[in-house]
Amino acid sequence: MIKTFTHEKLIRYLYNELPADEQQEIEQALLHDPKLASHCADLLLAQRCLNDLRTTPSKKATDSILQYSRSFFRP
Amino acid sequence: METMQPSDSALISLYIAGKEEAFELLLERHKSRVFTTIMLIVRDEAVAEDLLQDTFIKTIHTMKGGRYNEEGKFSSWICRIAHNLAIDYFRREKRNPLLNLDTTSHAFNSLSLSEEGAEATITREETHARLRELIQDLPAAQKEVLIMRHYGEMSFQEIADATGVSINTALGRMRYALINLRKKMAAQPIFYDQNVYPRETDPVPIQRIAG
Repeated sequence: MIKTFTHEKLIRYLYNELPADEQQEIEQALLHDPKLASHCADLLLAQRCLNDLRTTPSKKATDSILQYSRSFFRP
Repeated sequence: METMQPSDSALISLYIAGKEEAFELLLERHKSRVFTTIMLIVRDEAVAEDLLQDTFIKTIHTMKGGRYNEEGKFSSWICRIAHNLAIDYFRREKRNPLLNLDTTSHAFNSLSLSEEGAEATITREETHARLRELIQDLPAAQKEVLIMRHYGEMSFQEIADATGVSINTALGRMRYALINLRKKMAAQPIFYDQNVYPRETDPVPIQRIAG
């Protein structure tokens, strides 16, 4: 029997917040439930696009932080 | 061979003990996600860099001042600081708005023309600009959870605690944020660019399972 999952659990799965046993249950369900797999794929695609937006600050900004740290004296 | 990376906690202990190099590693490890978190809220590169500096300076004061609390994760703690500073700035700006016409070209567009073809770069930048707009269009509560979880890497429980809602509410908001983004992306051909939108729609869950 295919176990049904709450949407909240699927989100926790996508963000690796499920314990190993529950993660395995979801993965089994994904293999046998095309609707769940399709929904999961949709969410993963949105996630993947979001990853592309990560960016880094300029070296000048990070150098200023390091400089501040080096010149900071403990109270 | 992969070398072992010291944990944040170990780096903090070394830094507190006077090893400046440990802070350099912490900064290197967290600068990107902290900066992205701030950028998605304030949408101005110069302001985001100022707030990034303010964020790390606060952590320096706390750690070197002997007030660092080991209980939580460093990543969640610094994300909360960054998020709060960015929100404070955003609220102040709302009260006293400065005209900023440039909402599309800034530090997010970090790829240089020499790294890939000019056309591909422009398409990618347009796509990223559009995606940022879609994120801005999300309801505030969904946007908040999305930024905290996806870029700030706070757990859903930490987000629930920080925002005063139940974990299921936080999870629900994240789900709707992803669904809304996906729907809006599906309606816009620009997101089918090969560089951004992968071709292999069907195998995605299988890849995740195998991983």
